[in-house]
Amino acid sequence: MHEAFFFGPADRQIFAMYHPPVIADKRVLTVICPPLFAEFNRTHSILRKLAVSLAEHGQHVLRIDFSGTGDSFGNLEELTISDWVDDIALAVQEGRDLSGCTAVRILGVRASALLACKSATTMSNVERLVLWDPVHDGTEYLRALAREQVAILEQHHHLGRAQRRDILQNYRMYSLSDGMLEEFHGFDNGVYSSVPKNKLRVVSTSSAGELPVQGASQNVVKFACYWETNTEGLIVSQPVLEGLSQCLTEQ
Amino acid sequence: MSDRAMTEVPLQFGEGGRLFGILTVSDVQSSDLPKPPAFVFLTAGLLHRVGPHRMYVRLARELAQIGINSLRVDLAGIGDSPPCPDLTYQQSVAADYVEISSVLESQLGPAPIVLAGLCSGADNVIRLSISDPRVVGMVLLDPVCCKDDGFRKRAVVFSAKAFARKSMEPARYLPWLKRRIGARALLSNDTEIQIDNLTLRVSPTQEQMRAAFESVRERDGRVLSVFTEYALRYYNHIGQMGRVLGVEGYEQNCTEIFWPHVEHSYQLESHRRRLIDEIISWAAQPMPKLSI
Repeated sequence: MHEAFFFGPADRQIFAMYHPPVIADKRVLTVICPPLFAEFNRTHSILRKLAVSLAEHGQHVLRIDFSGTGDSFGNLEELTISDWVDDIALAVQEGRDLSGCTAVRILGVRASALLACKSATTMSNVERLVLWDPVHDGTEYLRALAREQVAILEQHHHLGRAQRRDILQNYRMYSLSDGMLEEFHGFDNGVYSSVPKNKLRVVSTSSAGELPVQGASQNVVKFACYWETNTEGLIVSQPVLEGLSQCLTEQ
Repeated sequence: MSDRAMTEVPLQFGEGGRLFGILTVSDVQSSDLPKPPAFVFLTAGLLHRVGPHRMYVRLARELAQIGINSLRVDLAGIGDSPPCPDLTYQQSVAADYVEISSVLESQLGPAPIVLAGLCSGADNVIRLSISDPRVVGMVLLDPVCCKDDGFRKRAVVFSAKAFARKSMEPARYLPWLKRRIGARALLSNDTEIQIDNLTLRVSPTQEQMRAAFESVRERDGRVLSVFTEYALRYYNHIGQMGRVLGVEGYEQNCTEIFWPHVEHSYQLESHRRRLIDEIISWAAQPMPKLSI
């Protein structure tokens, strides 16, 4: 069973799905932060399965859609990275209020790994951060989005030069605010270093490049996610699910 | 959750709460009875209720601005609705629809329904519209359609034009071709299964198509069909759907749109905006009221 609701600021209510523990309550809250843009849809199914699995292990689980994405409110063009970092802190607080847990674990996927680490530095109660294929840094992530934008545009042969020029200002088909772009560029991988290494676990798939989180415990799962080339295929890999579940449930 | 124009209510409904959806209730609707139709967005392929590139969320909220309520729902086995064991896909969709229409009635009272779906979602819209007298509208995004007599000839002309265009500007097409070949090589080396979340579909028959259109016409309802480049393998001319179905009064209550340069999942924001505007404009026209 699960319970869906909206919470947070009136102008950008955040959608959340709460999965209470199915068996003996382990007094642990896990907040699942999905990846952004096209990767959100690709991972929705596996992250839901992960939430169900963690609840069956006795955890309280809260899945959120970042403001301006999924079922949440907010206009992407008006949002900043700080709003998303705040979303995580609000979700942790909401999850703690709901569950009464003090021990908190957070899963960040791709770019939300950066956001989760940034948010975790403002909270004292996060005991573990699990990062699935974390992006290297904000600038590299924007470059990857821009490359994907070019690849997608290549399929749209009919567009005129002016239209192409306009669309190339977007990132993976989404128009982002100047504030968000600036903040992304300011996001270097030092944010990973700001989290104590003993709190970090990384789940890395075979398609991931060099690990941006030095010194963290790493769990390699052989599965090609094709983050940069496949914009629509769902990721339904059992090994990835097991890898994530293991990192979030082990003592 | 509520804002100036709408309230959104997450709903867990059906037997044992087996289905999940989000009801968008417009705060600007008039108190006149009977009520305007409520839209139901059916999931596309394996994509959950937000739709491709979040299109259903945006549509739901923009429809609310003009006083129209809607439900975007995860069919069993998709998103946050677990699968229905022991049922075939079509049995499962039919069982889901019984629950959907029931929850709509309990939440909104008796109101006519417009069913909307993309790809496999459109296939389900067609099958479900036949038997529910409350369905007065269908929004079909890339529905199936039989080829008509002129299809083959038009396809040859279409391909020749496309080839000529590519030959004139090779610099624009070579990177695409190179990338496409590279992606295929990459995929062929991979042993894991990749699932295309939009193209799994069990198409309705021609008889079911005709029955759905006729049912909606008999209810004085309307149909909006939009075809993109995805449909080029079977559709290439505005009016083709009307010709192959041969439904009486088709021109009066059915609108066909053909966008051969638009991609199936509406990747570009300009294309998404264009589709949303078309649907909002279509929905704003008078719809039959349900007298219950």
